[in-house]
Amino acid sequence: MATLSDTPLQDDASSAVLRAQGVSLGFSGTTILQGVDLEVQPREFVAVVGASGVGKSTLLRALAGLIAPRRGEVEIPAGNSPDTRAWSMVFQAPRLFPWRRVRANVELGLEGLSLSRAQRRERALEPLALVGLDDYAERWPHTLSGGQQQRVGIARALAVRPRVLFMDEPFSALDAITRRRLQNELVDLRRRSDAAIVFVTHDIEEAVLLADRVLVLGGGKDDTPAGMRDVIDVALPKEERREHPGFAECVQRIEGLIGTSAANDAP
Amino acid sequence: MSRLSRPRRLLISALGLAGFIALWEVSLRAGLLPGNLVPLPSTIPGVFWAEIADGIWFEVVRSSLSHYAVGVAIGSLLGITVGVGAALVPTFNALHAWLARLLRPIPPLAWIPFAIIWFGVNPTAAAFIISIGVFWINYFTSYSAVRSVDPGYDEVAIAFGQQRFVDRLAKVSLPAAAPGILGGLRAGLGQGWMTVVAAELFGIPGIGQRMMEASGLLATDIVVVYMLTIAGLYALFDALFMVVQRRMLRWQP
Repeated sequence: MATLSDTPLQDDASSAVLRAQGVSLGFSGTTILQGVDLEVQPREFVAVVGASGVGKSTLLRALAGLIAPRRGEVEIPAGNSPDTRAWSMVFQAPRLFPWRRVRANVELGLEGLSLSRAQRRERALEPLALVGLDDYAERWPHTLSGGQQQRVGIARALAVRPRVLFMDEPFSALDAITRRRLQNELVDLRRRSDAAIVFVTHDIEEAVLLADRVLVLGGGKDDTPAGMRDVIDVALPKEERREHPGFAECVQRIEGLIGTSAANDAP
Repeated sequence: MSRLSRPRRLLISALGLAGFIALWEVSLRAGLLPGNLVPLPSTIPGVFWAEIADGIWFEVVRSSLSHYAVGVAIGSLLGITVGVGAALVPTFNALHAWLARLLRPIPPLAWIPFAIIWFGVNPTAAAFIISIGVFWINYFTSYSAVRSVDPGYDEVAIAFGQQRFVDRLAKVSLPAAAPGILGGLRAGLGQGWMTVVAAELFGIPGIGQRMMEASGLLATDIVVVYMLTIAGLYALFDALFMVVQRRMLRWQP
């Protein structure tokens, strides 16, 4: 495992906000991914990359507990605060409830927490302001653009003040310009949120741009399930990474790790 | 094919209706239709006024409306409850699937014998018959409306801590299926009128009974008055429902 990080992380296991050990995933008899170990520290940004079909999104759902892993253990230590949730998720499609106004969508995760109606409202407006959509609070979702809807999806996830924020290819359905804008916004947002982020993407540049560490999945072939190729520490400054000379190098290194399967995808 | 502008379309529709009534009137006056079997359209307003002046119109409409309201309310409520339940609870669905398949093809009017045996010749029996047709429409539309809700919404609800059945029912299944469920309710409002007359034909006071009396006397003009009454009431209820529906579904694009 490469360790060249410019932001030293505390490798204190007791402080981890997510611990996964020996996680294997599969559908009806076939294992598609096996042996994933991951420990995520507070405020850390971990990207998960791999060729399409390797099981990235399934892994994310298993880490979140939405599906049960075939083997292995996942633990997200519960917080003791009654007005937050341990984790939340931003989905690939924004998946806002079209029958709720923007603010009510953001309030979804707050329902059932010990918050008054007024507090809920306040807690919803806060992340909406963070993504620049506080003026849209009373709009219906279908009146928003795709990029705005995904911003609401991010606000909805931030509203519960999660310690782990799962993001499942959140920008892949957006056009290139919007995608880049949201990537920059996410870099910005991290400074104002305490959440650790586990971010699935098939876009290696995106992973290197955003993450502290990149978990590379790959190696699956016919009967052998895919697994962890490596975990790369992204040793680049947080600002203006794209322009940094080490950026392309890091991207190439990960491309090399994903290797044959990615090469096979090329025409 | 070119499309008609709205005023033009309305004008042509009005002309079509007026032309039909005119043709009807002229055919009778020219002796092309038997006058004892078909009433003259021009006599209908006078007969309508006479029915109102006698107080008969209000009396029969009031009784029919009460059968209709009770039947539609019970049929809709049960239909939606059972339909939504079947869509969400697989065991419940499997449990009654064959029973539903068995009972579904039986027309509401085939229940008249049982209605009389169970309730007697009274308004409850009419409401029972009406509720059966309304039940099936609401049952099937709400079942398929809930079944076709994007499971992605459920995943969102679970990811945001709304795992409990009641939470998902109230926050996902019902609102997401609302367009379909409301469509079924609206169809049920129409279906209710179809059975209301038939349910009253066996002697329960209401529009249907009045029509039977009139036909016995060959008073075809009175029959037509009540046919138009039903059409008018249906249009009124449908328009009111549309207002409610549009309001409830204002989140739709």
